[in-house]
Amino acid sequence: MNTLPQTVIRPEFEASDLDAANHGDVARRLTAYERLSNMDSVRKFSILILFIAAWEIYTRASGVSHFLLPKFSDTAVALFQAIWSEQLLIMVWNSITILVTGYAIGLAIAAVLTTAAITTRFGSDLLSTLTAMLNPLPAIALLPLALLWFGLGSESIVFTLLHSVIWPVALNAHTGFMSVSETQRMVGRNYGLRGMTYVVKLLIPAAFPSILMGLKIGWAFAWRTLIAAELVFGGSISDTAETQSGGLGWFVFSNQMDMQIPHVFAGLFTVILVGIFVENVIFTNIEIKTVRRWGMQTS
Amino acid sequence: MGQDVQAAADNSSAAAAVEPILDVDGVTLQYKTKEHLITATYRVGFKVYPADRFVLLGPSGCGKSTLLKGVAGYMTPVEGAMRLKGREIHEPGPDRVMVFQEFDQLLPWKTVKQNITFALMNGGKCSTQKDADELAMEYIKKVKLDQFEDTYPHMLSGGMKQRVAIARGMAMEPDILLMDEPFAALDALTRLQMQEELLQLWEDTHFTVLFVTHSIEEALIIGSRILVLSPHPGQVKAELNAHHLNHSNVGDKEFSELQSKIHNMLFADRILEDELAAAEGAAQS
Repeated sequence: MNTLPQTVIRPEFEASDLDAANHGDVARRLTAYERLSNMDSVRKFSILILFIAAWEIYTRASGVSHFLLPKFSDTAVALFQAIWSEQLLIMVWNSITILVTGYAIGLAIAAVLTTAAITTRFGSDLLSTLTAMLNPLPAIALLPLALLWFGLGSESIVFTLLHSVIWPVALNAHTGFMSVSETQRMVGRNYGLRGMTYVVKLLIPAAFPSILMGLKIGWAFAWRTLIAAELVFGGSISDTAETQSGGLGWFVFSNQMDMQIPHVFAGLFTVILVGIFVENVIFTNIEIKTVRRWGMQTS
Repeated sequence: MGQDVQAAADNSSAAAAVEPILDVDGVTLQYKTKEHLITATYRVGFKVYPADRFVLLGPSGCGKSTLLKGVAGYMTPVEGAMRLKGREIHEPGPDRVMVFQEFDQLLPWKTVKQNITFALMNGGKCSTQKDADELAMEYIKKVKLDQFEDTYPHMLSGGMKQRVAIARGMAMEPDILLMDEPFAALDALTRLQMQEELLQLWEDTHFTVLFVTHSIEEALIIGSRILVLSPHPGQVKAELNAHHLNHSNVGDKEFSELQSKIHNMLFADRILEDELAAAEGAAQS
């Protein structure tokens, strides 16, 4: 007995003319709310507003001691005070100067290591061994040693920053270079690219998503390390540094010693703001102009 | 079969007045995997003449892509020689431009036009940006992509990407254009359209192209001359003429006959291999 389903033969059909009038707009503009809620910055900023509102309401309603958790409004006032009369911006600038110095030297060393790693097998072994050894070591743990070697001063902080920049940047760049597609490599060689032009015109842009990832991780590590170094050893370092006022970490540390808790919060707030600015303004803009525009990374 | 090869040899001696552009002479190509040394082609020889649409046809494993990589200069033969206009091929160069199957052959950080000018400037075809821009636009128009010159590759469809790659290759005006299954990753309708467009482009300039495919139909449509290769390792089975066939002949008696002739050539091996495998299996059990 045949129990398989059988094909049902039906009459054929061809549309004589397609009705253009009835199907409505093919493309409809989204409503203002839909368009607003599609904007990344709007969504993220509203989360921030909610968080700040919860903070203010909780501190007012619970009457928690302002030594433990100052009100948001007090923190904001302290922040403006610090900016106007306590040279907070100069302290931020001091921190950023040291950071940029360490970051730049770190990138140069990472570039040398990565170049060695993609050109020779010894370089590749060297990079992977060094990374495996040193990457798990927190940079701040090197600061006591750095103080011993370089003395009290910004050199010691720069040294620890190098450690936090080099490994993530070199590792990501190397991974990026290794994963450039064979087809693109062949295309480059087909059109006569060799040596440095091959690296600059083909390998670096092709590996740019990974390189950028390394730069971002390196920056975040360096910023954290810097603030931590200034917090722990900031007093002793800033006493002898050329700049009188020290860095942002020192601002947080010294205000905590003086029980100026709203100022401590204002300092931490500034650390966060600088972090957000670099991440969401500088790096995001680089991403938009490069990897997202090239379709190498979806937004 | 031997007679066919003989006939092919006679043909080329008749055309001896014209020098071949590419002379592949008894080439054996090998490559290493992690565990094996694979012989991809064994003593393959053929000559490509100017304005040839020369097709390398064969099943997977016949070394046709490897052969193309050899001609491109990415591989060195262990035996025999490959000469382009009499000079032996040692390394990749802009006189032999390759069009790949993969869509990522376009550089994603460059627009359509920049992908072409990049090739023209680095390949030594143009010395000023202005010349390169003009030449690039000329070829972008030829592949009907004007209005898309400032678009980045990720915004294009597969067929459009392949058109850009073809435009880039043709703009270089190489001695020979190497095409490695350029339409294999496209859908059937787009492939048909691309084949027609390639033939139209050929009508314009009569460029020389070495085209790899595993589709018998595509070989007959695109090719003016077809080198049939057998697999494991790749060896020349026949060299046939197909210059008189194109899309309009699909389904014709002559087209179908040639199609089934090639089909039988390739299929005969497979039956033999299957029988051998079966015999081996029987012997083991």
